[in-house]
Amino acid sequence: MTHIDIVPLTIISGFLGSGKTSLLNHLLTQSAGRRITAMVNDFGALNIDAELIAAKHGNQITLANGCVCCSIGDDLMRSFMEVMQQSPLPDHIIIEASGVAEPSRIAGFASVDRQLRLDGIVTLVDAGAHNVHSNDPYLADNYAKQIEAAHLLLISKPDLADAATLENLQNELAAQKPNVPIAQMTHGMLPIDLVLGLNAAEEIRQPHDVIEHGFMQWATHLPPQPRATLIAKLENLRPHVLRAKAVLQDDEGAYVLHLAGGRISTEPHEGVASGHFVLIGKPQMPDATALEKIFRQNEAA
Amino acid sequence: MNPHLPHATHIAVRDGHILGVGTAENIDGWQKAWGPLALNRDFADKTLLPGFIEGHSHMMEGMFWDYHYVGYYDREGPDGTVWPGLKSIDEVVDKLKEIQANRKDKDMPLIAWGFDPIFFTDRRMNAADLDSVATDCSVIVLHASLHILNANNFVMEAADVKGADNSEFIRRDESGQATGEFLGQLGYYMAMRTTGINLLAIASSPETLVNFANVARQTGVTTATDLVNPMPAGSENAMRQAVDADDFPMRLVVAFQGNSMEPAEGVARMQELQTSNSDKLRFSLVKMVADGSIQGFSARLKWPHYFNGAPNGLWYIEPERLGDYLKAFTEAGIQVHVHTNGDECTEVTLDKIEEALRAHPWPDHRHTLQHCQMATRAHFKRMKALGVGVNLFSNHLYYWGDAHINITMGPERAARLDDAGGALAEGVPLAIHSDAPVTALAPLFTAWCAVNRLSSSGITLGNGTQNISVEEALYAITMGAAYSLKMESEIGSLEAGKRADIAILADDPIEVGAEKLKDIIVIGTMVGGQVHINQGRSA
Ligand SMILES: [Zn+2]
Repeated sequence: MTHIDIVPLTIISGFLGSGKTSLLNHLLTQSAGRRITAMVNDFGALNIDAELIAAKHGNQITLANGCVCCSIGDDLMRSFMEVMQQSPLPDHIIIEASGVAEPSRIAGFASVDRQLRLDGIVTLVDAGAHNVHSNDPYLADNYAKQIEAAHLLLISKPDLADAATLENLQNELAAQKPNVPIAQMTHGMLPIDLVLGLNAAEEIRQPHDVIEHGFMQWATHLPPQPRATLIAKLENLRPHVLRAKAVLQDDEGAYVLHLAGGRISTEPHEGVASGHFVLIGKPQMPDATALEKIFRQNEAA
Repeated sequence: MNPHLPHATHIAVRDGHILGVGTAENIDGWQKAWGPLALNRDFADKTLLPGFIEGHSHMMEGMFWDYHYVGYYDREGPDGTVWPGLKSIDEVVDKLKEIQANRKDKDMPLIAWGFDPIFFTDRRMNAADLDSVATDCSVIVLHASLHILNANNFVMEAADVKGADNSEFIRRDESGQATGEFLGQLGYYMAMRTTGINLLAIASSPETLVNFANVARQTGVTTATDLVNPMPAGSENAMRQAVDADDFPMRLVVAFQGNSMEPAEGVARMQELQTSNSDKLRFSLVKMVADGSIQGFSARLKWPHYFNGAPNGLWYIEPERLGDYLKAFTEAGIQVHVHTNGDECTEVTLDKIEEALRAHPWPDHRHTLQHCQMATRAHFKRMKALGVGVNLFSNHLYYWGDAHINITMGPERAARLDDAGGALAEGVPLAIHSDAPVTALAPLFTAWCAVNRLSSSGITLGNGTQNISVEEALYAITMGAAYSLKMESEIGSLEAGKRADIAILADDPIEVGAEKLKDIIVIGTMVGGQVHINQGRSA
């Protein structure tokens, strides 16, 4: 069989008003060359700047950065058919699930389509409304299922909850999903590499991480270096690092390195290595100067 | 069915409308003003009823006729060809082998439909059955319920079916092996992706619409609904062209899919669609879907939920958003039909309708609950108070009655399933439906279901208070449905001034009685004065 493209699928789940649209908006502006197709309930709410829109046809909007938004219009199957019949296929699909959707059911599309792979279910939890939602007479079971299905939990609007509430919420979520990272999100502002690339399909479980307010993100270009060296450096930083991605060169050729879900993996890269390197970590991660020092050395620190 | 004249011997038709009904003498007088009326005795020994109205069907019913029918009962295609019923899984497999042996393009996907496992209790169809038909092309058998399909191993390999925790849509045997049965939307998605056949596109084509009308016509239907259509921009033109054609044998009411766009845009689109209304085509209402199905365990039930302990079902829309849509359409004076199956969903929907009506009072809104299968007397009382009508899914009693008694609802609650008697007793305007193609489209069969409440294994659901009389059932499939579509002044009864839409039957349903209601032969229909005779029947 010849090479077939496999598109990673990210599902953003969460109740009405939990901030899914803000997050999606933010992700689309950081696509950095990735052609993301976003399947959304409503264009209007996305609030895309008119100057960013390159074209609009029926239920599709093409953005100047190559991303596409298409409206689901209550028919997910039809939307998947439309998106998966496009050529070329997108680099990544993000679905903004409806507030009552069961994300694990949406993920089912990936399990019957050779060209789809579940990258991750990201569930948003509204810090101020958690108690209301988890006691809603009609929706509480649905709410619990969304949290249960998550590969990444994002607490939205942390600024609207007091410190004690926030801490309780974090503890509650951590107890319920001990293997899933929990992060806080304000106005959808999150680094895209934290949200995409979860590789959920590989059933990765990662140690429990509660991420406090704020992230450290460091992006740079690195000279060629052996993958073993890079891995060793990352292993040392592991307690503070959440995600890493590198496209580098060594004696064996170009390679891609991922640190996701607590696991480091490498695979050969087709084409030229860009030297691109991204590191996302907790506030306790060493600062940029220190990181420069670590990663520009040729020996493991 | 006209209260001031329930029975008549003669009917006069002019310009697509009924000029008069009554005795020969009553009719005679019209000749002074309208000129001579020719007496047609073609149907002198037949029974004429108001044309039947199917208040909840889908034009998708017409899409399958390009594929191979493998259902249990004989079925007549839109062209009048009779497809014989197949009485065992082996007969179905043999039929598919024969088709495969005789067709030219043996590599093309082989698709069959109408398979109904309800009749085969000894075992279920599996991938090996279909592998015996072909191993080097897709073989797919769609079930009559449209909730399930069977596939051969070729399809499963092409789809690269993977994952272990997806029992919701892949049926597995004890050893964890996929049996070849796929449930729900994902089965269809897999079928379309592996065969390259876009069933969704076919489902909305004009050819499908014409097939649908011809299948409906054969059962005495003169007006049917396509009860949810997203109506993409401009699609009304092709639809109008198909339906307005002289030989299109039916009126069609299309329900616009409410949440295919935001509330305000939906209102505007609906107002635009209404400018395309014609004598035969109507865009008069909006459909919203609030939960799933009982047999799919996706209906939202009140405590104590499912009889077998399955987790509660799914909301198909946030109740809050349903409320927003109901408010917007109510404010704009647009009637909404809401699909609710479980009793929790019915209750929440009534809450949302009540909120909309408090914000935008509208005395004759006639919002209607579709399916509404688990409504209690308390719900019917509320519906009466709010002016909400109901269209019950009476065919369910027969198709899934046994499953509801044993698996989904338990005997006590299954007794009130599709409680037509309760609805009438509480004064709620009643229609009954097939939801074709989910169950067979045939209003006399639907009426039989509501009258007899028999499951396919012959068990009676309820204690008799839920049953309705033959007269009440006939009213439900004519005036009841017309009322739910706000068309009761045009169609639904035979009286002077209304449209000349007639069902022509071999026998009088009242004389035939409850037990044999479904067996009455339909000779044909008249739609707007034009007669359509069924294949093999004579006037
Ligand atoms: Zn339906």
